Amino acid sequence: MADVKAVLRLSLPLGIWLASFSAVYGLHGLLCSSRWAAPPLGLSERALLIGAAIAAIAAQSLCLAVMWSPRWQDPDLSIRRVSLALAATALVAAIWTLVPATATASCI
Amino acid sequence: MNALQRHRALSRIWASAPGLRGWFTTVNHTDLGRMFLVVAVFFFIVGGILAMLIRAQLASPRSAFLGPDHYNQVFTMHGTIMMFLFAIPLFEGLAVYLLPKMLGTRDLAFPRLTAYGFWCYVFGGAMMVFSLLAGVAPDSGWFMYPPLSSTIGAPGINPDFWLIGITFVEISAISAAVEITVTILRYRAPGMSLSRMPIFAWYALVTAVMILTGFPPLILGSILLELERAFGLPFFQVAQGGDALLWQHLFWLFGHPEVYIIFLPAAGAISTILPVMARTTLMGYGWIVAAAVSLGVLSFGLWVHHMFTTGIPHMGLAFFSAASTLVAVPTAVQIFAWIGTLSKGQPRLHLPMLWLLAFFATFVIGGLTGVMVAIVPFDWQAHDTYFIVAHLHYVLIGGFVFPMLAALYYWTPHFTGRKTYFQLGDAAFWLVFVGFHGTFLLLHWAGLLGMRRRIDTYEAGQGWEAINLIASISGFVMAIGFALVLIDVVINAVVAIRGSRDPWGAGTLEWAMPTPAAPYNFASLPHVTSRDPLYDDPALPVRLARGEGYLGDPARGRRETLSVEIASGAPRYITVFPGNTGLPMLMSAVTGLFFLGMLLKAYWLVPVSALGVIGCALFWAWSLGGTTPEGPLPVGRGPALVTASEAADPPGWWGSIFLLLADGTFFGSLLFGYAFLWTIAPNWPPPSYAEPSLGLAATVLAGAALAGLGARLRPLAGLVLGVAGVGALALAAIWTLTLVPDPAAHAYNATLWVLVGYALLHQAIALLMLLFLAFRRRAGHIGALSGGEPRIVRLWCDYAALVSLVVALAIGLPGWLT
Amino acid sequence: MLSGCEKSLSAVHPAGPAAAVIATLWWVLLIGATLIFLFVGGLILWAWRRPPGEVAERRFVVWLGLGFPIVVLAALLAYGLIVGERLLPRPSSEVVEVRAEARQWDWRFGYADAPGRETENLLHIPAGRPVDVAISSIDVIHSFWVPRLAGKLDAVPGHVNVLRIEADLPGRYEGLGAEFNGTGYRDHRFTVVAHDEDGWRAFLQGETP
Repeated sequence: MADVKAVLRLSLPLGIWLASFSAVYGLHGLLCSSRWAAPPLGLSERALLIGAAIAAIAAQSLCLAVMWSPRWQDPDLSIRRVSLALAATALVAAIWTLVPATATASCI
Repeated sequence: MNALQRHRALSRIWASAPGLRGWFTTVNHTDLGRMFLVVAVFFFIVGGILAMLIRAQLASPRSAFLGPDHYNQVFTMHGTIMMFLFAIPLFEGLAVYLLPKMLGTRDLAFPRLTAYGFWCYVFGGAMMVFSLLAGVAPDSGWFMYPPLSSTIGAPGINPDFWLIGITFVEISAISAAVEITVTILRYRAPGMSLSRMPIFAWYALVTAVMILTGFPPLILGSILLELERAFGLPFFQVAQGGDALLWQHLFWLFGHPEVYIIFLPAAGAISTILPVMARTTLMGYGWIVAAAVSLGVLSFGLWVHHMFTTGIPHMGLAFFSAASTLVAVPTAVQIFAWIGTLSKGQPRLHLPMLWLLAFFATFVIGGLTGVMVAIVPFDWQAHDTYFIVAHLHYVLIGGFVFPMLAALYYWTPHFTGRKTYFQLGDAAFWLVFVGFHGTFLLLHWAGLLGMRRRIDTYEAGQGWEAINLIASISGFVMAIGFALVLIDVVINAVVAIRGSRDPWGAGTLEWAMPTPAAPYNFASLPHVTSRDPLYDDPALPVRLARGEGYLGDPARGRRETLSVEIASGAPRYITVFPGNTGLPMLMSAVTGLFFLGMLLKAYWLVPVSALGVIGCALFWAWSLGGTTPEGPLPVGRGPALVTASEAADPPGWWGSIFLLLADGTFFGSLLFGYAFLWTIAPNWPPPSYAEPSLGLAATVLAGAALAGLGARLRPLAGLVLGVAGVGALALAAIWTLTLVPDPAAHAYNATLWVLVGYALLHQAIALLMLLFLAFRRRAGHIGALSGGEPRIVRLWCDYAALVSLVVALAIGLPGWLT
Repeated sequence: MLSGCEKSLSAVHPAGPAAAVIATLWWVLLIGATLIFLFVGGLILWAWRRPPGEVAERRFVVWLGLGFPIVVLAALLAYGLIVGERLLPRPSSEVVEVRAEARQWDWRFGYADAPGRETENLLHIPAGRPVDVAISSIDVIHSFWVPRLAGKLDAVPGHVNVLRIEADLPGRYEGLGAEFNGTGYRDHRFTVVAHDEDGWRAFLQGETP
């Protein structure tokens, strides 16, 4: 299983980013489509999107913390560094790419 | 046994058949790599001639050289050929040739698959060239937007050539990607852990995984569009619930990663060549690995930046604008690490280095204009103008062709075993470099002056004439330069004198063998302890030739190499490769008949050739492994190892994992399309949709449970349960189709048919595999009795069950929600 | 008149507020890109001439590779998004609404203020007022582009996209179909006529063709 773990350490951090980025974009599409019901619980579209962005950033922070923790570190020093760099990159990517949810016009 | 005797014995085992027959039956990666490269260069020449036709047409206003109908074919085919038939296959060829040599092994993981992919590429490419010669080539632009490329805009056969021919060629990309991935992960010299891999292997790994996840959306899109054109399934026709934007999403979901699929191998070549040219080692190996992986993944989050003008809300555009600017960061990391490498070394101005300098000058400009068009408002003006044409040529020629020319000059001594002798290369370099910038630099400005891409000619008086004339003249200068490069390489390959083994003083393993390479690569496999084994031990080649490494004893008389653990590179088992065979070529010819039947609407040919492909595949898989258990065998050094057919995770299992990655991406894209239509397409929801029935749901659940269980039980009971489960799933699938009888009525019905069709296909695969495994067991094949074959079958059965469940859920969900 | 004609399709000779901010954006981008290109070129020259020896990896990878682009790109992204926000067709009482319907290979225009009025390949607008163009297509995908007034926006079958354009002064502005749409693509063009206040009123009352 050491094999699969090394592959996961390298592919998971940005994989999570790609999944959450696509999910937020998908949610945005749903909210702007006239076909689906309005946001639940009286929340505004923007509140939902910002909530989703925060959840994505939290997931990415968790991923970084896991990569950092000694229990999950790769025995190989180079791979350990690369996976940490990737987890940090993914966190930056999540913040960077989801920031527009706070400010830009949502459905025009 | 001395080195010469060992060479003779190994050559007898590994050599391809002599003469012409060898071309069609070879499965050797050195041969096939060379063949890939030669065919890719042929297509570069074809694409280049088309480019010259374009520049001849645009040299002056109101040109009557080509009419719009011909011009549209010419620019469509120029883009298509350069992208699909030149750039990707050139990477495949280079990787196929180099990777086993760099990784210190004897061949790729699936030699027959290499050959199959190559012949699919040749036959598919021949289809495209035929369409060009017959004057019925695709003419809707290389990104084939429907409805223009559908029956409304193009009733003729032209787009069918594109959709069917390119899908056929993509088989070669997917096969190459599966095998490059498995090779890099499992076929390396013992001791070569992931962090000791040559940097090119990292880039090739990222690229191959990107092909596996990037191409399926395109293949899906092509299949949907062809179904619309051939059978009227209205995926992209708005009146019946389709949406033209669905194609754009699927196409660019492929199309943007494609750009990085092209750039990353070139960056891998740069990271390999540049340190050697600067007589030092690469700066920031770990950073560069992280940058390559980041580029690979980030590039999947950019696709909408090709769609900034389609009317997507600004927040949606903003997400992708942000992602598009961010992708410049890992690129910058690489660029500055390369400059750092130059600064710590002592660069020499050989031809490869000259081309790398041309890369810097050109690619940096292309990258900067790329950042410009990532900014949404600027793209609203620049989109679909010559600014984009100029930008993409700066990126693709600067970022791919120039580094590949550096690679060509760097590795030519390896291909030919000769010294570069004639100095035509310098003149050729300057013609190409000056010609390139003369062609494209000013075209940025023409775009801002309002020159749209793809117009067949233009009126005087817009300030475009001088720019276009300069571009055309420079374009021909560049073409002469490329011709000189080819002449230079051919002359040197034929007449130059024999050169030394490692002319550049490089440290990677491909130079640890006599050149041109022997068919077995290494007389014995090295044990690797660092990234540059040749720097540690300059005598390594001699010791390997003497048989001091692994598997140096050819006594077993078969093609053997070692398979290693992914992370550590510790040897795990012996892989026995198949010998020369014409089967791959036969199978790709039969596959070609399948596509030909679709193209010519000779639909009787389709099922017949599908059966033929299945027959070939079964024969192919049957011939693997033997019926006598061998147990652990000596490998020359270290502990004895079993062969792959007795291992729990044979190469086929790993190949299945990565093939399923591509397959799963295809399925994911299909689900995305379904959700997209539900959300965005006008004329939805459909007038009526399938109501979930309890009986149907129960059948699916029971079938999936049985199929999953059957693959885990003892042989006979497992077979019975498995077949029953898959049968129940197939029954449920056909039942579902009766609920939406007319697939041409609405995009909803059409999508359901494709979803169910996908499930049926995988149920059929699972069924075939269950039966195949049972027969293998009866025949006493070791792999089926004690090895990993049952695990492979379990994988595919599980996938079929999973797909059936998800399809059922996707179909039932809207009914439950409303 | 030659110079006037040369500018008629030019995005960098703006005649309206949207095209003007984008043209400014372009000049900023060009200057920034040129400076960065010269910097990288100079760095390569320096690296080439420097005698061999170890250098600080951190300086190249972290400061130049990560820090430098992140700072520049963050500023640029914010600039681009702010400009983009300003160009959106937000509702306002000032706005004039028109329709543009594309087909192979011409354009038909309709006017909210003059129901029933339809013009072919000639779009009339008032100068100095924001105009929202509702863009649609009846066959394949097209794109509506008046380079001197604003960026382009696609006409996608089944969808209606709204583009805000505005001309500062009365005059004629050339427009283009800017998405490849088959053999007639080259001549898929139209003209925008921007009227002064009187001219616009006269047009709405049906006095000018």
